[in-house]
Parts: sequence; C-alpha cells; structure tokens
Amino acid sequence: MHERRADKHEFSEQGRPFHTRPHSMRLVDGSVPSRTSNLNAVNFNIKGNETMSKYYAALFAMTVSVLALSPAHADTSSKKIAFSNNYAGNTWRQAMLASWNDVTPKAVADGIVAAADVFTTAENQATEQAAQIQNLVLQGYDAIVVNAASPTALNGAIKEACDAGVVVVTFDGIATEPCAWRVTVDFKEIGYRQVKFLNDLHPEGGNLLEVRGLPGTSIDSQYHDGILAGVKDFPKFKVVSEVQGDWSPTVAQKAVASVLPSLPDIVGVVTQGEVGFGTAEAFKAAGRPIPTVFFGNSQAELAWWKENIDKNGYKSLSGSIPPGMSSMAFWVAQQILDGKKDIPKDLTVPFLAIDAAGLDAALASTPEGGVANINYTQDIAIEAIAAASKQ
Amino acid sequence: MISTVSKLRTFAGKAPWGFSFFGAAAIFLATIVFTDGVGAGQIITTALTFGTMYVIVALGQMYVITAGPGNVDLSIPSTIALAGAVSMKIMDGNDALILWGLLAAIGVGIAVGCFNFALIRLLSIPPIIATLSASFLVQSASIAYGRGLRIRPPEAFAEFATGRIWGLPTLAIFALLLTVIGSVVLHRTVYGRSVTAIGQNQRAAGLAGVKVDRVRWTTYVICASLAALCGAVLAGFSGGSSLNMGEEYLLASIAVVVIGGSSVAGGQSNVAGLWGASLFMYLLVTMLNTFGVGAGIRMIMTGLMIVAIITIAGGPKPSRT
Repeated sequence: MHERRADKHEFSEQGRPFHTRPHSMRLVDGSVPSRTSNLNAVNFNIKGNETMSKYYAALFAMTVSVLALSPAHADTSSKKIAFSNNYAGNTWRQAMLASWNDVTPKAVADGIVAAADVFTTAENQATEQAAQIQNLVLQGYDAIVVNAASPTALNGAIKEACDAGVVVVTFDGIATEPCAWRVTVDFKEIGYRQVKFLNDLHPEGGNLLEVRGLPGTSIDSQYHDGILAGVKDFPKFKVVSEVQGDWSPTVAQKAVASVLPSLPDIVGVVTQGEVGFGTAEAFKAAGRPIPTVFFGNSQAELAWWKENIDKNGYKSLSGSIPPGMSSMAFWVAQQILDGKKDIPKDLTVPFLAIDAAGLDAALASTPEGGVANINYTQDIAIEAIAAASKQ
Repeated sequence: MISTVSKLRTFAGKAPWGFSFFGAAAIFLATIVFTDGVGAGQIITTALTFGTMYVIVALGQMYVITAGPGNVDLSIPSTIALAGAVSMKIMDGNDALILWGLLAAIGVGIAVGCFNFALIRLLSIPPIIATLSASFLVQSASIAYGRGLRIRPPEAFAEFATGRIWGLPTLAIFALLLTVIGSVVLHRTVYGRSVTAIGQNQRAAGLAGVKVDRVRWTTYVICASLAALCGAVLAGFSGGSSLNMGEEYLLASIAVVVIGGSSVAGGQSNVAGLWGASLFMYLLVTMLNTFGVGAGIRMIMTGLMIVAIITIAGGPKPSRT
C-alpha cells in the first residue's frame, strides 16, 4: 500500500495533466469538480465565481485546441461499437445505461463512429453473455464494450472476439482475458481512504463494522484489501464484524440489523456500494447511536447525510465508481479503433468522491433517487490514456 | 441414526410445523450462548421485523404451491419491485395518499396475477415457465416505469413500517392478522378447501364440482397481491423502492413454505409453520453473521441447514391424506 501511495504522490508532483488541469472533468450539470490534492479521485467542490469563470475560460481554450487538432476523427467514422451489458436491475446500472445514451448518440451524429448499440442480457448469466458476445462478433461490430458478468467465465468468448480482430474493452465488471482492455477505478483506494478518514476523525481508534459487496467479485475483494491495508496502517481500528451487503441498501439493512445486537460499540462502518442509508437505518432501528457510515454516492444517502449535517454536523465521505464509466469505456474503444494500439491494457480512472464541501453541488446535479454521476468526454479519455501510457 | 430420523419424522408427521419452530429456537439459543446473552431481546425483535416480510410473501406462495404439483410463482421478486415503485410514486411522499398507494400496489398484484394465470391457462404454459417469463416482463415494466430511481416513502408510512406497538414491530402484528385471515380462508372457506382439494387431485376435485380454473386464477391473484403488498411495505421500511429489492424473495418464499411443513407436491399446507420457517431463515443468517463466518461458508451452511430440516420434516408422505 505504501509503495503504491508513494507512486501516486510522485505521479501528481510531475504535474500530470489529467489530474491538475481544471477542465479535465466536467459534471453533468456543467460545474467543474477539482482534483483533490493527493489521491486519484474526482471531488465535488464549490468554487468561488471568480475561480469558476477561470475554469470556463480554460475549458473554452481547451475545446478550441481540441477542435483545431482533431485529425483522427475520420478514421473511426465507419466503425461500429457495441455495448454488451450483463445486468440492468439497479439504480447504478440504469444511470450507467443513461450515460451511454447521453454520450454515444452525439458521437454517432457527429460521424465519430457509425454505431453505438446497447445489448443487455436478460438473466445476468455469464453463459448468456458469452453467446451474446459471439453474436456481436458475427454481426460485424469492430469493438465491443463489456460490463462482464464474471471476471473469468467470458474469457473464452472474449479471446475469440480478439482473434476475429474485434477490440474488447471491459469496465466495472472486468474480464481477466489478456487481450481485453480494462477500465476501472481504484476500489482499494476507496476502502483505504475510509479507514484513513476515521483515523483523522477518531484518533483514539475503535471498532469497525465492514459491509461487503457481492461475494466472489473482484470489486469486493479490492475494497476489502483496501480496508485491510487501512487497518494495518492505523492499528487502533479493528474490524469486529463483516456482513454481506451485496451493494444493495435493503440487503445491507437486513444484514447489519442481524449482527448489531451482538456487537460492541462501533465507531465506523466501512462500506462498499450504496449501502450507507440502509446501514444507518439499521442502527437507528436498534436504538444505537449512528456511527460514521460511509456512502456510495446515491442520492438517498447524500440527502440523508445533508439532513444530518444540518442536524448534528455529521461527518463522512462518499465515493464510488461513477456510472458514467460506460462513456469512458466507449471513448477508450473509439481511441483504440483510431489506431492507438499502444494503450495500456489496464486504465485506472479517478473514482468519484464527494466530501462535505462538495455535497451541495453533488446533490444539485443528482436526480432524486439516482446516483451521482459524470459523463466523460473524448478529451478526458485521451488524457486518461496519455496519463496511463506514461505510468 | 436412521431410526432417530424416522422417530423425528413421526413427530414431524404429527406436527409438521413444529420443526421450523424447533429449528428457529435451537439456532436462537446457539446465537445467545455465543454472545453470552447479549442482545437476546433485540435479536427477537429484529427477527420478527424481517421475518414478517418472508411471512407475507410466503403466505401467497403457499396458496399457489398448495394448488398442486407444478404450481409455483416465480414472478414474486419482480412484482415486489414494480409494486414498490408504483406505490411510492403514487404516495409521492404525501401522507394523504398512502391508502391510494397501497391500493395501487394491490392493483399491480391483481394485474400480474391475472397475467400469470392467462399465460398458464390460455396459452397452456407450465406455471414455472409462465411466471418466470412474466417476471421478465414485469421487471422491464418496473425499469421503464421508475428508471431505477429510488422514491422515498411518506413519513407516516415509513413510521408505520418501522414502528412498534407494545415493543413488538407493528409489521409483525399486521402480518399476524394477515396469517390468521389466511388460515381461516384456507381451512374454513369453500375457496380454501377447493385449493387443497385441487392440490390433492385436480381431476377428482373437478369431477366433484370444484371450479378448478376459477380457484387457480384466484390463487395466483392472491399470491401476486401479497407480493405486491410486501413490495409497498418493504419500500416503506427501507426508505424507498429499488429495482432489486425483491431478489432474495424468490428462493426464500419457496424455502419458507417447504420448511414450514407444507407439502411441495401440494394439497397440504401449514400456515403456522410459515412463522417458524421465516424466523428460522432469518435467525440462521443472524447466527452465521454473529459467528463471523465468511460468505462462502455462510452459503454452504445455509444450504445444508435447509436440506437437513427438509429431510427431517419433509420425509415420505402418504400419497393421500
């Protein structure tokens, strides 16, 4: 963990453009989030008007320069990109599909690509998705963006697609097949940061409850590794119980309620996914004081947080992979089709972090009952690729 | 060993619901011993709260399963999701609209139930396939309807769903009333007796003058309506509806019915056992969470425990009762 973190510091000291330039990320509502000082997260922050207008000026300058030197677009205008999606049955996935539908039709209309079609499997089964990928290859798509049902079970189908000359970009649910690209965020970092935040808030340490995600997924173990690393660095904290929350508020509420009666005092609940609200409800129902619970960027959690800041100055953090990662994966696929074959196979994109200062901005741009999100543009993708290539 | 099992089975034959309560109590004791008695009262209260959801859904599933071999409703999870979303949207956070929201949820249930039965009867599709395909359509409807957004319940409804009367969860009392009504309907009305008769022998029941189609239709409607009601209540309880909130109720509803002592082949049902089985299912998870076992072992243990209790309580049944 330490070595990795040292890398990150070095990385920002070099002034990597992706992290330091203010225009590098735009929120859906047009406000500009800034990078946090240290690690790889995008933060919602309220800027003064003056700073804001500087940002817009920079943004404008950048847009002009991108337009001026955009010679590559024509190369992919005949290319067709498909999106193979394994599941649509929750809020995050709906926002993910919405981001794809916000970003890609314009790319098609502008002639950047010929098609960007979505295909979602009915049953969240790896076998079904493998068959779907084979069909997409036969249908002549040049690139397939995949949110995979399994990190390994699709490898065969993906290898076949690569052998047929199709570019495969996996994101969120990634695949381990070496020929595919993987676009993801540093989940381990989100886990680590939660423990670090607790250390700042409760220097005396204490007991933690960990709400895990869907067992067996790579995402769940990355979060868990980050939390373990945090507890190792800040040994005053101890994880006294672990429950399975499946990233679902209802499942988490039930799981937390089931262990609470047997638990000692808890100072913090380290979480993954949108389970913060359900967890807090479980503490409330048990008549216990609500500890520091971490959030996963859903509007329900952010609204609850805001309410409790007003009530008692509640301190926490929220962070997750933005659903708009689908649009990032789309642009990465487009860039690969554009001939940039030297793109590293593993692209780590900043996760979306929301702190108390950025809470109002995040709430304002998040639909009621939805998830905080970012839509990625082509130049963000180009910069992310450039940043990753240098690494 | 075999003689112990057969002795237990003899007992189970006399009181098929007893085993679920026995299992729930054993698990509860194991948990309490582990925690040195800490939190005993609270474990029972939370078990009653969460067990209640199982009871409501499983009551409907039990009616369907009782109606005979092959009858099962697999559209419950998506009905829960759709009804949750519809009721929250109609209530719109407004206390005055709670009743309309609940009626709308039940309306969703009635519609899904009719649709299920139409597939089964008019298109002659086996129930397991019909309700599974209906669930895809219902799930798609709820995605299109709510776009996956989480809608918050009105304050008063959330209070009802999470509230307590005399220290007992309001929901549990409400579900207890529901099961009493369910029991009376099943054992004391012509409709209820018809369900059991059809489950034992559909042809004989038909020849004896039972209106088989009408009874099965009503049964699927009751099942979907109870699932829909659970959807609304669950949304109130957990601070809003979400697309995947019904997922765990697919297998749980069937497991609760079977562990509760109803025959999976139909024709024999047990309402009291639903409570024992629901508490058993919840307390099992509580125990394994309290022991701190990992996700993998927890799943294996849950599977083994369910197999064990069904083996003992299920046993070979006489072909006619």
